[in-house]
Amino acid sequence: MSYYDIDSILTDAQKLPCTFELEVPGLGILEGNAGEDASALFFTIRRHRLLTDAQIKAGTRIDLPLWLGEMLSIGARLGTARLVTLDMPEALSERVMNALKADPRTVDLRALAPHFYNLSERILELFEEEEMVDVLSDTFKKRAAEIADHARNSRGAVGGGVEFLRGLDETERQLFRAAHDRAKDMRIWSGEAKRK
Amino acid sequence: MAFPLPRGVTASEIAFLAEMETVTIVPRQRLEGLELLGGPIEPLVPPRRASLPLWLAILLKRQRRANIIPPTWLHPEPLALILEVESQHQDYKNAFSPPPPLPGQPSVLDRDALPSARPQYTPDGNRYYAAPPFLPQNTAQTVASSRDPPSLPYHWVEVGNMLLDAASDDLVDPDQIRRLLKDLREVRMAKMRSGVDVLDAAATGGGGVALTGVGSMELGEERGFVTGVVDGLRRIGSSKEQARREQMAEQRANGAYDDTRDEDEEDYMEF
Repeated sequence: MSYYDIDSILTDAQKLPCTFELEVPGLGILEGNAGEDASALFFTIRRHRLLTDAQIKAGTRIDLPLWLGEMLSIGARLGTARLVTLDMPEALSERVMNALKADPRTVDLRALAPHFYNLSERILELFEEEEMVDVLSDTFKKRAAEIADHARNSRGAVGGGVEFLRGLDETERQLFRAAHDRAKDMRIWSGEAKRK
Repeated sequence: MAFPLPRGVTASEIAFLAEMETVTIVPRQRLEGLELLGGPIEPLVPPRRASLPLWLAILLKRQRRANIIPPTWLHPEPLALILEVESQHQDYKNAFSPPPPLPGQPSVLDRDALPSARPQYTPDGNRYYAAPPFLPQNTAQTVASSRDPPSLPYHWVEVGNMLLDAASDDLVDPDQIRRLLKDLREVRMAKMRSGVDVLDAAATGGGGVALTGVGSMELGEERGFVTGVVDGLRRIGSSKEQARREQMAEQRANGAYDDTRDEDEEDYMEF
């Protein structure tokens, strides 16, 4: 994945539930708790002065972006006391996994997370979840077969596939586009379809 | 990003490569030998048959200077037979019909024979093994080699389409051939798509998926999708793969890993 990959950047921005283990002064803004009014906070930050009343208490649960949560939780690996503990995001919860096990095709992955597979890839780096790998691989395969079908014989807006195609995550959309463009390129070459 | 074409080879580029295939023609006019970049062209003397690259044959056909003799596989009977093998035969339920044997390769009939590849030599004396489009897979072959069952050559989609387009009056029953080619494509594409299930073999370490018998146009069409699926599976399974590698390294460090190489070690991909 390249440094400038927009999908990778957007994956980084997905929220992850974190629980603070320590009390952190001055980070209340993350919680939407500015302590004073916003303009005052602005000036205090500019003066590098910490606000005593805008602190995060130990045990607070906040949704942090992936890049921040990952960094804050990494203390555990270095042996120092960790700042936050990470939880599974909603998109990869037990409930979703059960739904995927039951029927991968009916789950709207896009509603769960626009970059579902990229997110789960990053999460699986952080957590040891053997079973989740299997469930996700199976999901990906089953849905990929379905995507290939839709990409080659699109039934247009009237077919039943609209619901499924709307629920594709970003990785799957790229797959769909690759399969569809090639099939179209091929049809144009063989004269079955007209060039636009 | 700014490059407007999709990654990989486009359909028209594949067709361009396929135009190097050699076909047999019956010239209607005399033509002196040509010195082309792709090799010399023998003088055309009607009514003696000659072998020409497809592009030249189609050019001459368009100018009504030659008739193209369709390749042995491009007739209704062999195509119907291949279609039957593809769709009905038990052994080929999930596989593609075998490609034409390469030079030196034993035919499908005697499987036990060992292959003995015959190298060829360039004018400079370098050894090479010929591959499509430089194999006479689309010429009207002599009777001697008709022992082999009919098979689809590597460039079957392109050659079939171009000949139907430019020289349909030289083919036997072109409408039937067109229909059979379309059916064949449908059947094989469906197989390709249902093959997604085995693709995780290619995604985990050391696996491979054989694509023997798949034509170049089919490869080009499915390349983007199949590699996308394999890459997706690889990324999802990367943490598991990482764990497996660490475990193996640990075992090796402990001396528990004996010397018998398991099959996972062979790192090959067929694409």
